Amino acid sequence: MRLRELENRSIYIIREAYAEFDKLAVLWSTGKDSTTVLWLCRKAFFGKIPFPVIHIDTGYKFKQMYEFRDKIAKEWGVDLIIARNEEAIKAGVGPQHGKFECCTKLKTQALMKCLREYGFEALILAIRRDEHGIRAKERYFSPRDMQFRWDYKDQPLEMWDQYQSIEEIGYHIRVHPILHWRELDVWEYIKQEGIPVNPMYFAKDGKRYRSLGCEPCTLPIESNAKTINEIVEEIKTTKIAERSGRAQDKEKAFMMQKLRALGYM
Amino acid sequence: MMKGNVNVVFVGHVDHGKSTLIGRLLYDSKSIKDDKVTEIQKLVEEYKRRFEFAYFLDAFEDELKEERTIDTVSLMFEGKKNCYTITDVPGHKEFIKNMLTGASHAEVGVLVVSAEEGVKEQTRRHMFLLKMLGIENVLVVINKMDAVGYKKEKFENVKSEVVQLLEGFGYKDVIFIPGSAMEGDNIYRKSDKMDWYEGPTLIEALDGLEIKQQERAMRFVVQDIYEIEGEEIVVGRVESGRLRVKDKVVFEPSGVVTEIEKIKVYGEELQEANMGDCVGIVIPAEVKRGDVGGHIEKPPKPVNKFMGEVVLIDKKLRKGDTVQLKCGTARVGCKIEQIREKIDLETGEVIEQCPEEIKEHEAATIVFNTEPVVVERFTEIPELGRFVVVKGGKNIGAGIVLDLIT
Repeated sequence: MRLRELENRSIYIIREAYAEFDKLAVLWSTGKDSTTVLWLCRKAFFGKIPFPVIHIDTGYKFKQMYEFRDKIAKEWGVDLIIARNEEAIKAGVGPQHGKFECCTKLKTQALMKCLREYGFEALILAIRRDEHGIRAKERYFSPRDMQFRWDYKDQPLEMWDQYQSIEEIGYHIRVHPILHWRELDVWEYIKQEGIPVNPMYFAKDGKRYRSLGCEPCTLPIESNAKTINEIVEEIKTTKIAERSGRAQDKEKAFMMQKLRALGYM
Repeated sequence: MMKGNVNVVFVGHVDHGKSTLIGRLLYDSKSIKDDKVTEIQKLVEEYKRRFEFAYFLDAFEDELKEERTIDTVSLMFEGKKNCYTITDVPGHKEFIKNMLTGASHAEVGVLVVSAEEGVKEQTRRHMFLLKMLGIENVLVVINKMDAVGYKKEKFENVKSEVVQLLEGFGYKDVIFIPGSAMEGDNIYRKSDKMDWYEGPTLIEALDGLEIKQQERAMRFVVQDIYEIEGEEIVVGRVESGRLRVKDKVVFEPSGVVTEIEKIKVYGEELQEANMGDCVGIVIPAEVKRGDVGGHIEKPPKPVNKFMGEVVLIDKKLRKGDTVQLKCGTARVGCKIEQIREKIDLETGEVIEQCPEEIKEHEAATIVFNTEPVVVERFTEIPELGRFVVVKGGKNIGAGIVLDLIT
């Protein structure tokens, strides 16, 4: 029942976004959340996603993520756009020179370039409130200005599924259809629906990845969860936060707020 | 068996302890992860502050520095019976927009009142808004009992003041809980300092609530029309009631009468769809986004004129202004025909007859003259009895439909 409520709400939001925006795309990191969102998009449109799927490639992703991406993209017949900030990659930007700069250049700016090139008005993203305190403050439809800035002090009134549309040219809207899902809900839904996930989520030699990102900044957790059922049980009892293995959140205080204010996901 | 989800909003005056109360609830129910506690402890040292439970909620740097909640935040935690989405809203008047955003999905309101201060300006204003949003289930926590020596007399005094306020808004038989968010009394665990109180703790009271679901007429709002493998599928949501295959349905304002041939979700055909379900239907007729379907026995009726109660959170509304209304998936142009009565947000009382305009943070009953649109009385079908007022592309106000004028 709970999963059905969550799914209904998400599908409603995805269809509202498609009705509202001519130029729409969905962001796909290949992780469990955005793969779930892709699945929801397929369900919303009866099998075929009618807009492009963007993968931001920092060049630092795990090998298994690229493999998973290419396999699923083919199986589901998605219109895949790979967004890279080639300039920054060539200039040698990397986490060793500071994670804030690295995330901003290789992710946020890569996305910015892609957005401008294709003229997207809105992007569907798989962030959830329970991942991080800053993400808990988000709206379902969240505007970003020309410079990608998030004006978190003046967010739109959003009531009764009446969402913000584009205010001015140059703005874009971030659409967050699974904002109300918990980590546990995502796994229970993956189990119910049989959604394919990256094998890195399952334990090998006593470790597994709980959240996937770039290889240099993502650490596995201690775990023996080898199946989805075991992962569900582990999440129910864990005392550790989901993003504990993600280094960019922790470089300094309010890092996520600062990253997100500049347009980070 | 998975638990159902209940949406709870915590409201009340600035500094009466909403965020602290929620932080305490999350902490005592062990819903906060260890590394979050470590993170907060690090912040507390860095900013040289005393540890506060509210820090689990207030995530913005400015919120921590200014020690006040700016934006609404939603968190999830599991009680014994239900799974809760808890929403904290800011108490300051300037953030009413964020308060409404946070409260609009709630089924339950928890009003937090300080035992030291009693009813204040935002206590009243928030109750007015809860009432307007149609939130029928309300619990009251008289907080900061530790600061008044856990005295029964103090609790009773504040309680009678709040009872009076609640009755004014039509709330009766409300549960009152004496508690201390700071010390953890009667929030998640029973207090040993108030022998005189025999009622439930906050979590017991929440788990004990019965949320009623009333049978209402079927309404299906049209979101879009897709062509999938040569078949036209009308997608939308059942807002109330139940839709079945072969039902005879009328869609308004298009004025189309038809029969439901198929109900579809991806990879499956269904026999029926219930309230909240997002489905596709196949019908031998043309409808459009914004149309509302209903059974021919209890059909939706398009109107050109209705009276609503509106809270404005931005800009101004003047008599004669043209604005847009959003209700369900309909978006229509409309004119402010008349502003009937300006209402005091604190007391719910009429303060001015037929004013020329209302400003932000004011409420009024307004007669709207619109393009044909289906709206319903809020008391009959709430999902289609609420609307948002749009001006210059922005959602500037929220309203409910009081009456249809035909």
